[in-house]
Amino acid sequence: MDQLDLTIRIAGENGEGVLTVGDVLAEALARSGLHIYTFKNLPAEIKGGASMTQVRVQDTPVRSPGDALDILMVWNQENYDIHVGEVKPSGVVIFDPDECEADESLALTQIAVPLQKITKTVIKTMKSKNVLAFGILTTFLGIPVEAAKQMVAESRWGRRKEFLESNINALKQAYIYVADNDIDLGLSVPVNQRNGHAQLIMTGNDALCMGALAAGCRYYAGYPITPASDVMETLAKAMPRVGGVLMQTEDEIAAITASIGASFTGAKVMTATAGPGLSLMVEALGLATMEEIPMVVVDVQRGGPSTGMPTKTEQSDLNLAIYGAHGEAPRIVIAATNTEDCFYTAVKAFNLAEKYQTPVIMLSDQHLSQRAQVMSRPDLSRIEIVERKQPEVNGSVSPQEFDRYEMTDDYVSPMPLPGRHGQHYVATGLEHDEHAHIDYSPEAHIRMTEKRHQKIESAVNEPGFVQRYGAEDAQLGLIGWGSSEGPILEALDRTLAKGYKVAALIFKMLQPLPEKEARAFIESIPVVSVVELNASGQFANYLQGRLAVSLKRFNIITGLPFKAGDIEEYIEGVLQYG
Amino acid sequence: MAEVRTADAEKTGTTERSGDEGRVVKRKLKDYRSEVKPTWCPGCGDFGVLAALQRALAERDLDPKDVVIVSGIGCSGRLPEFVNAYGLHVVHGRALPAAQGVKAANPDLTVIAVGGDGDGFAIGGGHVPHAVRRNQDITYIVMDNQVYGLTKGQPSPSTPTGMQALRRSVSMPKMAPYEGVLEGQLNILAMVIVYGCSFVARTFSSQATEMAKTIGRGLDHPGFAFVHAMSPCPTFYNTYDPWKESFMPLPEGWDTGDRIKAIDMAMEEVGDGVFHSGVFFQEEYRTYTDKLQDVYTKAYGDEQATIDALMDQYA
Ligand SMILES: Cc1ncc(C[n+]2csc(CCOP(=O)(O)OP(=O)(O)O)c2C)c(N)n1
Ligand code: SF4
Ligand SMILES: [Mg+2]
Repeated sequence: MDQLDLTIRIAGENGEGVLTVGDVLAEALARSGLHIYTFKNLPAEIKGGASMTQVRVQDTPVRSPGDALDILMVWNQENYDIHVGEVKPSGVVIFDPDECEADESLALTQIAVPLQKITKTVIKTMKSKNVLAFGILTTFLGIPVEAAKQMVAESRWGRRKEFLESNINALKQAYIYVADNDIDLGLSVPVNQRNGHAQLIMTGNDALCMGALAAGCRYYAGYPITPASDVMETLAKAMPRVGGVLMQTEDEIAAITASIGASFTGAKVMTATAGPGLSLMVEALGLATMEEIPMVVVDVQRGGPSTGMPTKTEQSDLNLAIYGAHGEAPRIVIAATNTEDCFYTAVKAFNLAEKYQTPVIMLSDQHLSQRAQVMSRPDLSRIEIVERKQPEVNGSVSPQEFDRYEMTDDYVSPMPLPGRHGQHYVATGLEHDEHAHIDYSPEAHIRMTEKRHQKIESAVNEPGFVQRYGAEDAQLGLIGWGSSEGPILEALDRTLAKGYKVAALIFKMLQPLPEKEARAFIESIPVVSVVELNASGQFANYLQGRLAVSLKRFNIITGLPFKAGDIEEYIEGVLQYG
Repeated sequence: MAEVRTADAEKTGTTERSGDEGRVVKRKLKDYRSEVKPTWCPGCGDFGVLAALQRALAERDLDPKDVVIVSGIGCSGRLPEFVNAYGLHVVHGRALPAAQGVKAANPDLTVIAVGGDGDGFAIGGGHVPHAVRRNQDITYIVMDNQVYGLTKGQPSPSTPTGMQALRRSVSMPKMAPYEGVLEGQLNILAMVIVYGCSFVARTFSSQATEMAKTIGRGLDHPGFAFVHAMSPCPTFYNTYDPWKESFMPLPEGWDTGDRIKAIDMAMEEVGDGVFHSGVFFQEEYRTYTDKLQDVYTKAYGDEQATIDALMDQYA
């Protein structure tokens, strides 16, 4: 085995505990110095329905959920039928012979393990079925029983001492069963490089919450919505510990306007939602642009339109994020690429909001927000934090002389804060002049429109939001944004290794558009294709409109994330057959 | 500049400003006038509400830098522009959530939300019960003219139904074929009392002194204070004459601590064709800020957690 790369899927009835098995396995492997990437596919129901969880494990950072399965464990017939087709020819299926019948015609290694029966007759506590399943997996992965015991003890199964003994017993039964039946897959996943708690295991939503707090977010308002609710839940626990305020509002309109109110006083504010909520926020987003109020709005995209597919992933809110406004209301739109990047993109979102006094929409998506990955603990002393431009405290300028919307070189004006600065003014969504007085004259509207647009346009010079990868003399270029970075780069590496000349350009800033980099990339490569998880090619259309070029597209709309293999095949297809 | 308020000053409204020794001259109504002249039609009731609010602010000698007036859209929503203080003029119907964000982020500020009957009880009606539930120390003045003024005369949720409107010989030409409106009239005051609001009062823009006093009591009330400020729109729905007749003070010795009585009164007066002015109900409940303070004390005692410490849960 050269590079470690295993994709393991566990599938069963939702609510049965398969998710716990996946979570514990992922955490245990991560604590053993390995890199993990989880992927869950859940029904929208609270209980019932087929659900699955998947862990991909590598010894280097994992970039995509994994293609075909190396190991599939199913707890019942329904899940066997759903998933068995995704197992690699060299893969293994573990099934419960009392719950399901294996298809003998398949050329796969299929191993019967009577999970239900062992739990009932040998372990005798049904709750321990999860631990038994976990033990079967660790045995097959070649993890020594002592190491596996430590994993259980450190997991949620070890937290309650009174259950620890029976859980360890369940684990032992797994090892006994496998030894008795002489099963050996020949795997030996190296778990001796223990890093314990040195690395963080986070989902995208966890990471963005921590990034927001690190950036100074102390006010959050939100309304529950899948898959953004856990942002509010995480912050609900954290905010009181840092003296912040978390408000669960009556709807998203209240969430965004309350955030505007809080930011008006100088607080760093955030609200997170998904597409339906962002739709409701559109009017107030324009207000924040008009009044030049800093704020971060996170949109964890899910399958749309309407209520759509709440538990599925898609990159389909880009149009709404960029254009969703009446009148012309420019704002900054950025997208995070992976878990670790959710942390740093959240920090940047706050910095941009404060620096440019504007709403910043940060795009994430269901898959990015829910999957767990390993990341290095951020060094908070090295994170740059930007504060908003304010007038001098105790300054002598009277409110009558003060220009809240003063025309400055960078189009950003000092913002007085109630309670702090004597330069009180009235922020209004009506068109106004420099002095914040209502003014519908052509001159005022022209000047203020320019101020609002130029300010945002100048943010295109912020470093680190667009990156090129791959061959200099590429024949095919892929353009991606946000969370498709991982699978695109993995596919790029695979195809480069096969000798194809390919390159990729990944955007994390979508508005303002880094036009220079986009144009240089598109003009230097014969064929360029935009890879995104939506039907209409929203980013491709946007690029075509802005750059007057013609682009190929590669879109999937399965509600599932890209697999590196999908993109690899696409690259080969284009380069072989055009 | 920190303000030191003594127990006595509390009563008299006198404030000593530290670093400003010797200046015990109180601010006057004109100190709360901005350089922007009101754009309302001559005779608009909103002039009365503006003056009453300015007077209440002057009586409390509040520093304009510590006052934030939040409004939605409507003729009434223009009020913050005319006051020398901080103002936040948001979108239609959202004055309350914005005001709550202001107060939550800085509880030391005096926060006042203002707006029309349409702004507060049509498009923004969903926010009222929640503002009441949060009971932040905010004064909400609804300037009720029973019509949409800014959009020129359409009915609002508080427009009387059908014949009732006609009996008062007040016309709403845009609704002529309907003889008023088909929908029932919302009893704004009763609703707010039923929601559980900790301070509910009504006042009339033509009764200047009374209105300033009522708004002042709302400002002094520690919690969410609802002031139903009847404020006629002579241009589109001139209710001056009937309202002058139907306004009367709450009965002598009115018990402001009885919510059920307050509801009864708010329900009955409609049938009687009267408007009572004064404080219908008032009781002090713990505010959102008070409760949050308890949460803080429990969560970290004297010392806040570092972000590093928060990240430990993921290690
Ligand atoms: C979302 C939205 N819908 C409609 C309007 C148009 N509009 C502005 S003010 C208003 C109603 C105003 O009535 P009210 O709140 O009673 O205020 P008044 O003018 O009577 O003081 C309407 C419908 C708007 N500004 N925004
Ligand atoms: S239209 Fe009516 S409410 Fe508006 S300013 Fe004129 S009188 Fe006042
Ligand atoms: Mg009105």
